[in-house]
Amino acid sequence: MKRREGRGTWISRISRTISELENLAGLYAALFIAVTVLGAFTLPSLLYHDDQLYPKTIDAADPLNPYQRGGTPFNTTDVQAQYPDNSPYLGYVTAYLTPVTRFIADHTPYMGTTIVAHPGGIIDEILYNTRGLDTVAETSILFVAFAIAAHLFRRDE
Amino acid sequence: MFELPVTTIEGPELFVLEFGDIVNYFTVYTAVLFTFALLFTILAIISRPERQVDFAFGGDAFYTKDITPGQFRFQRFMALACGMATLGAMMSGDVFNFTLFCSMVGITNIGIVAAYRNRHVLNAAFQYGIVAMIATVPLFGSAAIILATTGTLSMWELFGPAIAVPLVAKIFLVLGVMGEGMAPFYVAKAEITRAPGAPYVLMIHVSSLLLFLRVVEIVISM
Repeated sequence: MKRREGRGTWISRISRTISELENLAGLYAALFIAVTVLGAFTLPSLLYHDDQLYPKTIDAADPLNPYQRGGTPFNTTDVQAQYPDNSPYLGYVTAYLTPVTRFIADHTPYMGTTIVAHPGGIIDEILYNTRGLDTVAETSILFVAFAIAAHLFRRDE
Repeated sequence: MFELPVTTIEGPELFVLEFGDIVNYFTVYTAVLFTFALLFTILAIISRPERQVDFAFGGDAFYTKDITPGQFRFQRFMALACGMATLGAMMSGDVFNFTLFCSMVGITNIGIVAAYRNRHVLNAAFQYGIVAMIATVPLFGSAAIILATTGTLSMWELFGPAIAVPLVAKIFLVLGVMGEGMAPFYVAKAEITRAPGAPYVLMIHVSSLLLFLRVVEIVISM
C-alpha cells in the first residue's frame, strides 16, 4: 500500500484534515456551533437595554409594520439620534413615502414586508437619514452580488 | 466635539468624518492600515496580470500561458471593489457599518475567485461561498447583540468605559470577520494562488489581513 504523506503523527493528521478544502465549511460550522453553545450559556447575563437609540414598536394592523416611524410628511417628528448636531434636518423626512409606496400602503396591509422589493422601499430606507451610509453600503453589496451573478451567467464557456 | 475615550491602543484621532450617526475617523493605527489598502488598490489599478510559465518534467520544454489584460477585466473590477470595501472598513466608526463593509469584502473575494475557469479554483470558490454565507450569521448577530444590550452602535460610545459589550458579541464579531475575510484559512488559499492573475488575487490576502488587524483593534477597544 502506498504510504500517503502526513500519515504518521497525530499533528500531521490534523494538519491534513484542516488543509483539505472540502472540510472547510464543516470546520467553520463546528467552530460556530461551539461558540453558539457557549453563548447560549451566557444568555441569562445578557440584559436588554431599555434606552434604545433606534426604538421599534410593533403594530400588526399598520400597513407599514414594522417600519412605521410615525409623524406627518413635511413636518418635524420627534426622532432620536446619537449625534443630533450631525443631522440638522432630523425629523423632517422620516414620515415621507414616495407616491408608489403610499399607494401600496393605502391598498394592501403588507407594505412593510416589501421594504427592498421595489425602488420606493429602498428610497424609504434611505430616508432614515441618521444612518444613510449603511444604506449606501447595503445597496453596494446587492449590486456587487448582481455583478458577480451576471458575469458568471454570461461568460462563454 | 469627538474625542476617542481610549487613546492607548490606537493613538489619538487625526480626522473625523460625520455621516449622521455614523462618525468615521482616522487614528494613527487605522490611517496606516488605510494607506496600505489604498496602495494595493492603486497597484491593482495600474498593474497588468502576471504570465505563468509551465515547465514540462523530464525535458527542457516550457511554455508560457497566453494571457491578455482583457481576460482579467472582471477580476480587476472585483479587486477594485474589494479595495474600496477595505478602505471603508478601515475608517468606519460604527459597528453595523463595519460589518456591512466586511460582508462586502467577503462577497468581492468570492467574485475574484469565482471568475476563474479552472475546476479546482471553482471548487474552492464554492467552499468559500458557503463559509461566507454561514459567517453572516455571527457577523450581523454580533451587531444585533451589541445594539440590544447597549442600545447604541457607535464605536465612540462603545469604546468608553461606561458601556460593557458582552463577550459573546465580541467572539461573534471575530468569528464573522474570520469567515468573511477567510484570514485564518491560509492553507486553503493555496488553491487560488495556483491560478494565474497575481495582482488581483493578492487583493484577497491584503483585505483579509487588514480586516483582521482592524477587528482586533475594535474588539480590544470595546
